Amino acid sequence: MENLEIYNKAFIESLGTTEEKLTDLKYQDILEWDSVGHMGLMVSLEEAFNIEMDIDDIIDFSSYQKGKEILAKYNIQLK
Amino acid sequence: MKSDELISELSFDIPGIKKCQQNRYPLLFIDKVFDVIPGLSAKGIKCFSYNEWFFPAHFEDEPSVPGFVQVETLVQTFIMTFLSLEENRGRKTNFISIDNVKFRKMIIPGDQLIIHAKLESFKRGIAKGFAESFVDGHPACRADFIVSVPEILNSYKPSVK
Repeated sequence: MENLEIYNKAFIESLGTTEEKLTDLKYQDILEWDSVGHMGLMVSLEEAFNIEMDIDDIIDFSSYQKGKEILAKYNIQLK
Repeated sequence: MKSDELISELSFDIPGIKKCQQNRYPLLFIDKVFDVIPGLSAKGIKCFSYNEWFFPAHFEDEPSVPGFVQVETLVQTFIMTFLSLEENRGRKTNFISIDNVKFRKMIIPGDQLIIHAKLESFKRGIAKGFAESFVDGHPACRADFIVSVPEILNSYKPSVK
């Protein structure tokens, strides 16, 4: 599975959303992406990519697009 | 000294439990917590007498402990596994999920419940683990829990612009 598929799957499974809604998705755009959902999403991404994110990155992870930039810092390229 | 002797086990009576968690009468359902290894595990005791407020209503002709009370005895022991850590004492907790709940025995007035709880992970204010209870050595109830500590969790949430 490509990194982008893994990334999308984490969003879809953690937040119960659909692939069509991902591009512009931001924190608190949907009920499921609240503080609890956010932590579930972070755990899913860490497990999927076998990384441990810094606190600052978890706080900065405010959208689907921003998340791609953050994961690039961990050498996870999402095309 | 053996290495396992370096791990300190704690016990908490009611005033001690109340310093760690914010559940209060009539919703505090454990009497004592013992063999606590902070960050790892805890054991709890709950003695049920007919004076419990719910027995006359559940049920009048056949008093037994309601399921939600059994689950609370489990989770209140479970949260002691991490609220016993100095930095977490007194913090509030919220349920995120309860899974695989099994009730195996009717609990009646006069029963003493022993609860064993284990913390599998505690990260960024999210605790995962399970607890199981016994009466006279027989399994009574079991559940898997995910519990949050909002005060910690909220320090990791993105700012809304």
